[in-house]
Amino acid sequence: MSRPAIEKTGALDLWSEGAARPAGTLPERLLGPALAVAIGAGLVAAARVVAQEPQGGTLALSLVLGSLFGFVLQRSRFCFFCIWRDLIDRRDPRGALGVLAALAVGVAGYSAVFGAFLPDPSGVRLPPQAHIGPVGLVLVLAGLTFGAGMAISGSCISAHLYRLGEGSPTAPFALVGTAAGFGLGFLAWNPLYLASISQAPVLWLPRTLGYAGALALGLAMLALLAWPLFRFLAAEPARAASARPDPLRAVFVERWPAWIGGLAVGAIATVAYFRIAPLGVTAEIGSRTRQGLAALDVLPERLEGLDAFRGCATIIRDAVLTPNGLFIGGLVLAAFAAALAAGQFKPAWPDPGRAVRGLVGGVLLGFGAMIGLGCSIGTFLSGIMAGAVSGWMFGAAMLAGVTATLLVGRRIGLLS
Amino acid sequence: MSARSLLFVLAASVGLAGTPARAETSPLVTTEWLEKNLDNPKVRVVEVSVEPGVFERGHVPNAQNIVWHTDLVETVTRDIASPEKFQALARRLGVDKDTTVVLYGDNNNWFAAWGAWVFAQYGLVDNVKLLDGGRKKWEAEKRPFDVRVTDVAPSRFSVGQTAPNLRARLPEVLAVAKGERDAKILDIRSPDEFSGKIIAPQGIQELAIRAGHIPGSVNVPWARAVNADGTLKAKDELKKLYAEAGVDGSKPIITTCRIGERSSHTWFVLARVLGYDAKNYDGSWTEYGNTVGVPIVNLAGTVWGGK
Repeated sequence: MSRPAIEKTGALDLWSEGAARPAGTLPERLLGPALAVAIGAGLVAAARVVAQEPQGGTLALSLVLGSLFGFVLQRSRFCFFCIWRDLIDRRDPRGALGVLAALAVGVAGYSAVFGAFLPDPSGVRLPPQAHIGPVGLVLVLAGLTFGAGMAISGSCISAHLYRLGEGSPTAPFALVGTAAGFGLGFLAWNPLYLASISQAPVLWLPRTLGYAGALALGLAMLALLAWPLFRFLAAEPARAASARPDPLRAVFVERWPAWIGGLAVGAIATVAYFRIAPLGVTAEIGSRTRQGLAALDVLPERLEGLDAFRGCATIIRDAVLTPNGLFIGGLVLAAFAAALAAGQFKPAWPDPGRAVRGLVGGVLLGFGAMIGLGCSIGTFLSGIMAGAVSGWMFGAAMLAGVTATLLVGRRIGLLS
Repeated sequence: MSARSLLFVLAASVGLAGTPARAETSPLVTTEWLEKNLDNPKVRVVEVSVEPGVFERGHVPNAQNIVWHTDLVETVTRDIASPEKFQALARRLGVDKDTTVVLYGDNNNWFAAWGAWVFAQYGLVDNVKLLDGGRKKWEAEKRPFDVRVTDVAPSRFSVGQTAPNLRARLPEVLAVAKGERDAKILDIRSPDEFSGKIIAPQGIQELAIRAGHIPGSVNVPWARAVNADGTLKAKDELKKLYAEAGVDGSKPIITTCRIGERSSHTWFVLARVLGYDAKNYDGSWTEYGNTVGVPIVNLAGTVWGGK
């Protein structure tokens, strides 16, 4: 039986790869870290330059937070697909616990911010910008499609972005596919809106439960999900007692434990919401696609109701520099720098199988993220943190989509 | 009145709080005056910004927030907030007839001025002021921002008579357009909207069916009243600006735009700063330009739809 070559996305494979010391002479070994420092300095300089623009504070902070996010994703391999595959294939729950840690920090952080932004949640108003979306069949369809796209392309959109910085041969195809998927989503939007989304309720837990109640329920749900995972935890390999701790190596070379990455993601999410907007990685991809298609005159004159929804907004902006564009740019470049420093920048030539899987999976990712008003970051993470029912529902549908696609794909021999 | 607030009032009255005499008579307050009066219990600072999330991420300390597209309007009937709704809002803000209300916002106080116009409908006119320069100047002068929300004691404000003499309705505007009534209509939209080259600015989907302007109206875009730092121009400059377009206060004035919000800014300048007899026509072009059979001047000849 011949299976197409599969990109190594298993988190465990990459761990062993990351732990290996790069071979070569001293100057060769210093090249990566030196380049990484140069990129970091470049990002700082870029932040200083964009700070001079109108609204420069927001732009510069977006670049900084995007860079931090990219660094954390790369260092802790925060890839939803790999994490889920580790759990169902290898019974390794560490990544999944990391995601739950991110959600717990974010749920608590958002609660604190909400209290200042909208002291009384019981009225008709929602806290500004928080990703609280319509809950209905289209959201389920969005999650299933997005999950299928993850299984086929080997990652979600945010992981493809940081993998782009690691030289992944699949990521460029997946991201091109994502843009195409957004285009298909825009074309499908009006019928979906009229048939279902326009009647879908926007459900926000704090409105009915209050902030304390929603926080308690959120944390309890996360604890309930974490509890069964604990028994899969294997004994950590004992460290040699004499090994001296090496903090620089621990931060810049070795893979971070997923829970540390999770805590950092939760903290970045809270700060991002407090200062700029909820975390999300598809607004720029979506709005640039929409802008391009509108210029080609292939979009409907109006996308009914779309711009009034919360989520990763795809409103066309005239500006060259946007907060989300800089966030994405910082994410990719910082992941590139982090990969260089760790000796994990491994560019490879794409083969046709990867290109096709990237494109096909990317289209599904883009379509799901468009009709779901965000992806595993914007709708799932930022939604659950905000106490939105839409976040939980998208997450459940996404995992169902990944699992079903993997099972079917493996049975017919197209996925491994 | 608590001892603390009594002290503030005493302090204000002996001049510690800047120039209270000027603030009492002028429809504008300076950033400097406001910073000195942030803790003054008779002063209520209220932000009315266009962009959502601006107030929440940092506002003038002790300021309250108004979300214009839900608090100040009836969302279903496209009207200004009903008396009951406005009364509830004013009570929540702790605003009463003797409160000095200082409104400010982003975008050169554009929606803060709209707020002042809605407040005026319910009898809160002379005690409602704009922060000259708005958020822009406050920030440029490195004055403090806060993200915490200050709880205020609700007021017992009750809406009495509305003030219809500050609001123009379609029949009145139509009478002016037909020459049956003597008034000057000041259209503050962009020159391209005024001439009819375009029906509405880019990105606006809520259109009128027809292009052009109300017969006899003159065009002075609203932002021409503002300096680069966001403050309003000096009185004599403003007088000259509008006099050049034939608006000198000798006749009643009706301000108009697309939906009546930008024109509130010009209404504030004319009625409150220059003391002219001015009304705002909040129906504006979305009402007039959609009304069947009314006279229209369409210089550009743009016709909606079809070929």
